[in-house]
Amino acid sequence: MNAISNKMLLSGNHAVSWAVKLVQPDVAPVYPITPQTPILEKITEFEGRGEISTELVTPESEHSAMAACISASLTGARVFTATSSQGLLLMHELLHYASGARAPIVMFNVNRTPASPWGFWPDQLDSLSQRDTGWVQLYSESPQESLDSVIQAYRIAETVSLPTMISHDAFYVSHSLEVVDVPGEKMVRDFLPDYEPENMLDVASGKSFGAPIDQKTWNRSRREMAASFAEVEAQVNAAGADWGKLTGRSYGALEEYRSQDADVVIVTMGSMCGTARVAVDALRDQGLSVGLLKVRQFRPFPTESVCKALGHAKSVVVLDRNYSPGMGGILHQELKAALYGAAQGPKVHGLLAGVGGMNVPPEKIMSLVGQYKDAEPSVESQWVE
Amino acid sequence: MNSIEKQPSPLWTNATSEARLTGTWRSAMPHYQNLPSPCRGACPVGGRIAEWVRHIELGDYKAAWTTLVDNNPFPAIAGRICHHPCETACNRNALDETVGICSLERFVGDLALKEGWAYPKPKQERKETIAVVGGGPAGLSACYQLRRLGYQVSLYESQEQLGGLLRYGIPAYRLEKKILDGEIQRILDMGVDLHLNAEVGSAQALKELHAKHDAVYLATGASRSKNLPGLDYAQSWVMDSAEFLADTNAGKACDLGRDLVVIGGGSAAMDVARTARRLGRNVTVLALEPDDLLPAHEVEVIEAKEEAITFVTGAMMQSAETNGDGIVLKCIKVDFKPGEKRGQFTIDPIAGSEFELSAHGIIPSIGQDADLKRWQDLLDAAGPVVSTDGDWQTSTPGIFAGGDVASMDRFVTQAIGMGKEAAWGIARQVDAATAPARPEAEPLIPYEVINTSYHAKHRRLQAANRDVEARLQTFDEVQLPLALEEAVAEAKRCFSCGTCIYCDNCYLYCPDMAITKLERGYEVKNDYCKGCGLCVAECPTGSIHMEKEQKA
Repeated sequence: MNAISNKMLLSGNHAVSWAVKLVQPDVAPVYPITPQTPILEKITEFEGRGEISTELVTPESEHSAMAACISASLTGARVFTATSSQGLLLMHELLHYASGARAPIVMFNVNRTPASPWGFWPDQLDSLSQRDTGWVQLYSESPQESLDSVIQAYRIAETVSLPTMISHDAFYVSHSLEVVDVPGEKMVRDFLPDYEPENMLDVASGKSFGAPIDQKTWNRSRREMAASFAEVEAQVNAAGADWGKLTGRSYGALEEYRSQDADVVIVTMGSMCGTARVAVDALRDQGLSVGLLKVRQFRPFPTESVCKALGHAKSVVVLDRNYSPGMGGILHQELKAALYGAAQGPKVHGLLAGVGGMNVPPEKIMSLVGQYKDAEPSVESQWVE
Repeated sequence: MNSIEKQPSPLWTNATSEARLTGTWRSAMPHYQNLPSPCRGACPVGGRIAEWVRHIELGDYKAAWTTLVDNNPFPAIAGRICHHPCETACNRNALDETVGICSLERFVGDLALKEGWAYPKPKQERKETIAVVGGGPAGLSACYQLRRLGYQVSLYESQEQLGGLLRYGIPAYRLEKKILDGEIQRILDMGVDLHLNAEVGSAQALKELHAKHDAVYLATGASRSKNLPGLDYAQSWVMDSAEFLADTNAGKACDLGRDLVVIGGGSAAMDVARTARRLGRNVTVLALEPDDLLPAHEVEVIEAKEEAITFVTGAMMQSAETNGDGIVLKCIKVDFKPGEKRGQFTIDPIAGSEFELSAHGIIPSIGQDADLKRWQDLLDAAGPVVSTDGDWQTSTPGIFAGGDVASMDRFVTQAIGMGKEAAWGIARQVDAATAPARPEAEPLIPYEVINTSYHAKHRRLQAANRDVEARLQTFDEVQLPLALEEAVAEAKRCFSCGTCIYCDNCYLYCPDMAITKLERGYEVKNDYCKGCGLCVAECPTGSIHMEKEQKA
């Protein structure tokens, strides 16, 4: 593809595959799982036709796929993998390992309800329940954003030496088609410098990673991770801005949509952002002062920026497409924690709106805003029909 | 909390974990042990088959030959006519098909003759002399092993040429004479004091010979044909099988008529029948045993049938008489019951099952006995053979015996093995300090310890046979050799049971890097091996095994 960019009709998953084709990672250990499988199928198609030089590894489980990702990454290879739900949960042990090893793996996750009961519905619990594993987490609302985010994620991950996971919702994004602007290879090459890690497994250096260490060193490893996490938001914003200069599509840790002067701000992640945008426009047309705060970067949680973005609002309606049993909506909890202690914080309503892949159309969001904008908030997240 | 001074990560290190002695966690330890393969356990000469087959696989044919001839100076011969119990025992049988060891042995043997590879002179010549009586497979094998040890050998052969049964019994279509000559000459080239047409025919002569030498090895074979009751051997239409084969092998014409009955179901009977077919005769084999219990090797029976030899089995001849220009054999079906040992059986004629066979001649071939009478003043007998001990020493110290005169295991390679064992027994008696030790029995490698993930299924490459029509025109060899590529491909099928092939699997798979590579082989680091057994599981040849450790 020699053109600067090319318009293609792509599903969210195939948009991810195209991003991988453009990045051409050195190694991609992959294991199939619905609804992620089209991502790896397309990649294997590219590989089969000789269009990418990526070495595909096909292990016997996601656990082994992640083990292969870590090993490859520690040799200095650029690595990609994709998974979903049960597959991501099976990787859990190694997600900790990857971040502790500071392996800048880029992984795509398709958000799907974890079993049981068995289902294939869009729900973000799978990736949100990995929030303490030390991975940078980005959430995408569209095929275009998924493609753009994968490319940016390599720059972010490799700059801060942290593994990065991007998620989009099952079917709403993974299998929905839209016209996607696929950038040219040269543009991606210019955007993404070669990966040159400070440390890697190399017989020439003789250095190795993974030896047991003492308490002090383990403690220090977390302090170092904390220092790196502190840099992430700036890197996400810088990568998003640079990408915008090349493509006209800018991204950041947060996106404020008609929210800077709004009394009521809807806060959500993933595909529901697109729906909320339609609801915001309709409510504005009715004369209501409503906006949207899209949380694209969930980990590290952009606490200061969120406080700043919501400081002026009277009330906040959080729409969670997940449920943490015994606690409520995870975004709701994170947001409350972020706002705690703010001088004049908004009232925060946590609504369990899309759990289990329930459809949340614009009209529903509009009615929820009407119902909660002037209400007294409850500490607990609320189940809404 | 988010600030920390920049310095190199302490997580990446050149330090090693050698300070952690993980060996203390262990309850079992892997040991390298090259145990015998099942083929070796079954081999009549105790050949190190897995080793020489591996040499073929690696293309080092000279090394294959050198290893092979440690135990058998006749690879080209054995590769043609051995009854190959090695193949029956082969572990590969459990995966697909047994390895074609015999055809590989022939490949190496033929190549050695073609290349003119010679045996080295002994490292040190000794002054002791040993007399070997009988130049058949047992005697020649003993000569060879004694010469390797440096002993002076005088060989006495009653016939005008060496070879015994190999020359006078085995037909040329199974063993070409020039092969026989080549492998015998190679032994003579080591330096043997040879006496042809020199019969040692009595106890007295044997005693005199013993007096002149430090030891004697008696390998005079079993040359007296057993007589079939009810058959008049004086008739012109009866010819003894040994005489028939000797005459034919010497190129003499056969006087018997067109239709012949060969009586017997053993290997020699097959040789007789198939030889007679090549002389243009119609042949019927009459055997006591039913088809599935014929003592001849299955392949020989199949090839005989291919050559249009008729088999009448589970039956015996009761009498034979002339009838015009031919003879009539009066026969009866029998109920044959095999005994405990090979060669033992009982038969019951089945009343009312009488039948007749017509023929022009009869060649009885029901086995041969050793002539023990001539030694009876000197050597004790054990049934039909000379009595011997574990080293093949007879009742007269210093006189050893082997081959058909001392054993009922009447296979050529068995005789070769006996010759080797007796030579070592003689050496132990003459000078125990320098003699090879008596081999100890070791457990054989079972199929279960072979990691077959490393051995893809592959059909056996069988040496082809000459077309049946072409076979019957001449005495040319029936079995054709394997081509070099075929031999190498067949050698690759070998599991190398119990024989390290230096594949580095143990070294590479060890999660604790507790294996050290030596110049040849490996060593387990006592301090670090956790006893996980991964090396054992990943060994493709079963050459490592775990041993439980008792901790105080």
